[in-house]
Amino acid sequence: MTEDKQHIIAVFNEEEPLLKAFRELKKQQVDMADVFTPFPIHEVLESHGRKSRIITVSWFFGLFAALGVLAFLYYTAVIDWPLNYGGKPSSAFPSFIVVTIILTIFSVTILSLFTFSARAKLWPNVDKPIYHEGATDGDFVILFEKEKVDEEKLRKLLKELGAVEIIEK
Amino acid sequence: MGNKSLGQITQEITSPLYQRPKFWWLVGLGISSLMMLLGFWAIYVTISTGIGTWGVNNTVGWGWAIINFVWWIGIGHAGTAFSIFLLILRQEWRSSINRAAEAMTVVAVGCAAIFPALHMGRIWDAFFIFPYPNTRGPLWVNYNSPLFWDFIAITAYLLISASFWFLGMIPDFATIRDTSKSKVKRAVYGFFAMGWRGSVGEWKRYEGLAFVLGGIAAVLVVSVHSIVATDFAVSVEPGWHTTLFPPYFVVGAIFSGFAMVMTLVVIIRKLYKLNDFITDQHLDNVAKILIFISLIMGTAYLTEIFIAWYSANEYEMFTFFRNRITGEYTFQFWAMFICNAVIPQLMWFKKIRKNVTMLFIISLLINLGMWFERFNIVITSLAKDYLPSAWVSYSPTFVEVSVFIGTIGIFIFGVLLFFKYIPMIAIHEVKMMNKYKKNKDQ
Repeated sequence: MTEDKQHIIAVFNEEEPLLKAFRELKKQQVDMADVFTPFPIHEVLESHGRKSRIITVSWFFGLFAALGVLAFLYYTAVIDWPLNYGGKPSSAFPSFIVVTIILTIFSVTILSLFTFSARAKLWPNVDKPIYHEGATDGDFVILFEKEKVDEEKLRKLLKELGAVEIIEK
Repeated sequence: MGNKSLGQITQEITSPLYQRPKFWWLVGLGISSLMMLLGFWAIYVTISTGIGTWGVNNTVGWGWAIINFVWWIGIGHAGTAFSIFLLILRQEWRSSINRAAEAMTVVAVGCAAIFPALHMGRIWDAFFIFPYPNTRGPLWVNYNSPLFWDFIAITAYLLISASFWFLGMIPDFATIRDTSKSKVKRAVYGFFAMGWRGSVGEWKRYEGLAFVLGGIAAVLVVSVHSIVATDFAVSVEPGWHTTLFPPYFVVGAIFSGFAMVMTLVVIIRKLYKLNDFITDQHLDNVAKILIFISLIMGTAYLTEIFIAWYSANEYEMFTFFRNRITGEYTFQFWAMFICNAVIPQLMWFKKIRKNVTMLFIISLLINLGMWFERFNIVITSLAKDYLPSAWVSYSPTFVEVSVFIGTIGIFIFGVLLFFKYIPMIAIHEVKMMNKYKKNKDQ
């Protein structure tokens, strides 16, 4: 990583001042790069950045998995090598239902996990800077990119809004 | 809990990670290791010599292995049931308990999977159960068979409960990575935290994925044990061939699982002094759920008996009235009935719900009762069915019992490791609850 400091980090020690600051900064149209919190704060999640589409994507995973599993069962049990189990029909939809449900759940889980991992950029030894360690403990942090904000004005504003610490990194 | 700072919450929950292992912990680890050793010996004997080392025979083909399999799977159900159903019902108090319940699930399902694998006999041919293109035809598996459904259901359940558990721990691993002073801990927990920082993008997708996994796991909880029940219900045995089985098994599973959650939570609370997080109210809530499920269990037992009489089927009548309520297996039947349907009714009294020792004892008795229930189902129906000339008695051999002891060892071992190396309570969820409580107080 480069040594020159490109970020400003505002640290709040409670949720309420962070939320107040977040609303005010939004109103004044200050560009916030990211917000780090020890637990999800829904107001911030809803108004910062794009909505996550993971639920929709998972729904499609489920649809394709269900069709895929049914097709596989039909191919193996009816087309490829039909077996006679006590005279029961090979193409028996009711007996396919259970396998389809379970394997659909199985596929949705695996595919959604990998999608999550890829989109949220979470995997072992990923190279991501940790801006402020307290953000997973008890601190609420807003990150700014220096290029995109008016530094002096921002510092003044943040002090007014109750930031306990303003760090350059 | 309401007036703790966030830093304090982190510190109190993660403190067992930094303490030196306690004496009782090491003793527990030692005893469970010995039990595991015995179990591994028995597994070795079973695989190298064969199923003949067990007490099962032509008539009673399913012995302790299947009893224990169903028992463990049942216990494993509570973790997911706890997380999901209480999440759906918006029961906020679940946050303090779900991590322990999910840990229990993963270990218990792992223990359960050992039994059917061994019961296959030739375990080196176990891969035959995968539907893969092979040179024998290709001969695909029988999709009509509940035994195949069972195999995929358990595999899926193990994977999903483990990933749901792990997903919940990612933010907490990051907390440990950022608050620990030890370099090794930072590296190890950092590896598993996978670069979590609590950013907006991470939380959004985290919540989305938790919603998806929670939703489909709810379906899975109900379906897995229903499938286990169909293993029994599709066979034309007196006492098994009934449509009551799937719901009866699912409720029974959740019953034994919640009892095990109670057992574990009482232990955790006592040993780690987490009374601020796991309050008397939590135990009270679990106790009330147990009473409710106990009533369902009692109804199910009586329904079975009533239907046996009402159907006027002489084989059903014999199984229930001459082979369970009276007869050779009386002890197991009444142990089941009293432990599951009668004793939990004591918890109607507030005094008993407030008494942690009593709750602990009742939860252990429920688990014992649920074991007897499976014994009752598996053994009594098989031992004496349609053909009196084929009637035999069944008793387990030392090897069979040792495998069971081994799995108990694995369970205790796993749970002890969980106590020491993983935050026992979901830190970020408790922090969020803390906030809501504060808002309510104001």
